[in-house]
Amino acid sequence: MNMLKVPLQIFRYKPDQAPHYDTFTVEIPASAHVIDAIDAVWSIHDETLAFRRACHHSSCGSCAIRINGVEKLPCITRVTDVWDGRNPVRLDPLRNFPIVSDLVVDVAGFFQRMSAADMAMICEAEAFLPFTVDTFAVADLDPKLVELPDNFSRFSRFEKCIECGICVSACPTMAADEKFLGPAGLAAIHQARKKTNDPVKVEHLLGLADGEHGVWRCHSAFECTEACPQAVDPAGKIMALRRELIARRFGKILGKRYA
Amino acid sequence: MPNLDYRKPSRAGAWLDVRRRKLGMWAYALNRITGIGLVVYLYLHLVVLSLLLGGPAAWDSFVAVARSPYVLALDVILLAGILIHGLNGLRITLTSFGIGLGAQKAVFVLVMIVSAVALWVAALKIFRT
Amino acid sequence: MIENPFTEEPKPTSAWLWQVLTGVGLVILLGLHFIANHFVAKGGLRDFKDVVAYLRNPIILILEVLFLLCVTTHALLGVRAILLDFGLSEPTERRLDQILKATGILTVGYGLAVTWIVISK
Repeated sequence: MNMLKVPLQIFRYKPDQAPHYDTFTVEIPASAHVIDAIDAVWSIHDETLAFRRACHHSSCGSCAIRINGVEKLPCITRVTDVWDGRNPVRLDPLRNFPIVSDLVVDVAGFFQRMSAADMAMICEAEAFLPFTVDTFAVADLDPKLVELPDNFSRFSRFEKCIECGICVSACPTMAADEKFLGPAGLAAIHQARKKTNDPVKVEHLLGLADGEHGVWRCHSAFECTEACPQAVDPAGKIMALRRELIARRFGKILGKRYA
Repeated sequence: MPNLDYRKPSRAGAWLDVRRRKLGMWAYALNRITGIGLVVYLYLHLVVLSLLLGGPAAWDSFVAVARSPYVLALDVILLAGILIHGLNGLRITLTSFGIGLGAQKAVFVLVMIVSAVALWVAALKIFRT
Repeated sequence: MIENPFTEEPKPTSAWLWQVLTGVGLVILLGLHFIANHFVAKGGLRDFKDVVAYLRNPIILILEVLFLLCVTTHALLGVRAILLDFGLSEPTERRLDQILKATGILTVGYGLAVTWIVISK
């Protein structure tokens, strides 16, 4: 197996010390991903290194950080794609979030924005058991639709967004405006709006987006869409919300009633 | 609750930091810089217009200064600001209405090329007149 | 339980729409203003008597006044957009709106006054 000795320059912050960078060199396979290198730093050099990780395949959104200054998911980023073979790979926490420690940021505000769209969190694909085609062949089972409780209709969360926060980190408006709903929050509103025809709900969701710190605070930098690892296209969703809001505004002037 | 000392970075100058950013961010930063420049110019221009109140004596001597190559050079810079801000503004308007949204980076490149060409033509005309 | 500040419906705003409308208006009006003053005028600049003659043309006057309204609105909405990006408190935002409205009225008023004085001389 081809092994590499990779230097990593990692942002460190603990409440009792000033922020600084520590450099660690770890020996990892050439095919390893950046998250494997971080794991190695933790287990071999410094178990006080704080970072989030879980699924290792870009479905949980936990591990999002900045690699050489650019927002990425380290679990799907190969070390060889970000290391020039010489200089340390720099790891920083996401921008525009309060930093808890090292690479861990406080995501409370992020989830407050997401839950403003009040979406239930059942992924459409997860409504069926067992989960994979291969399991059927092995276990000789038919897929069975999960019985949802009576008061649950078939909601799904947005199939693409994994709530990793990368779009928020990349957004220049999120950098200075704490009241901004942000790309993820606005994309969530758009998704929730698409899922309902109830005029009262639609009016409420669009109303959330119509404030000075909703869709109108976006300045079309498009960094969110560029950085998103799951092709959610938050910028496109913000523009779609803008179009609908403006159409309704003109509609109301012309006497149309919506709710 | 533990007393956690969160570092809350609030970066007022973040809009200007285009390092490792894509074209859309460059467009945003340029639009903001040209916008600020144009607001400053607007009020300068309005103040200068008060010279009209001094009649031909005041205004015509100002016009003579305005013909100097240094002022003309500043006018070319002003025109660059106007072209970039205006054309990029149109791009932002169109993409907000879903037109050219998928090609926003290419449209920005087009905006810059058109601005450069128009600026070159205008600069020639300005200095030749 | 921590309160979620994002669940409250905020006040709707048309500021961005006005920014776009005045912006598109400016592409036309600024274009005309530029052409009339720098490409039609002899030598690219108007001397005093040319300015007076220019502004005494009623169509020109209307266009220039519209231009003044558009450019002042667009400029001050732009300043407002930049400042709102800093997540100011609500009282500060209200104060900002008051200051910008007053600045806009003073700017347009000044422009109209100078124009009036020049064409009535």
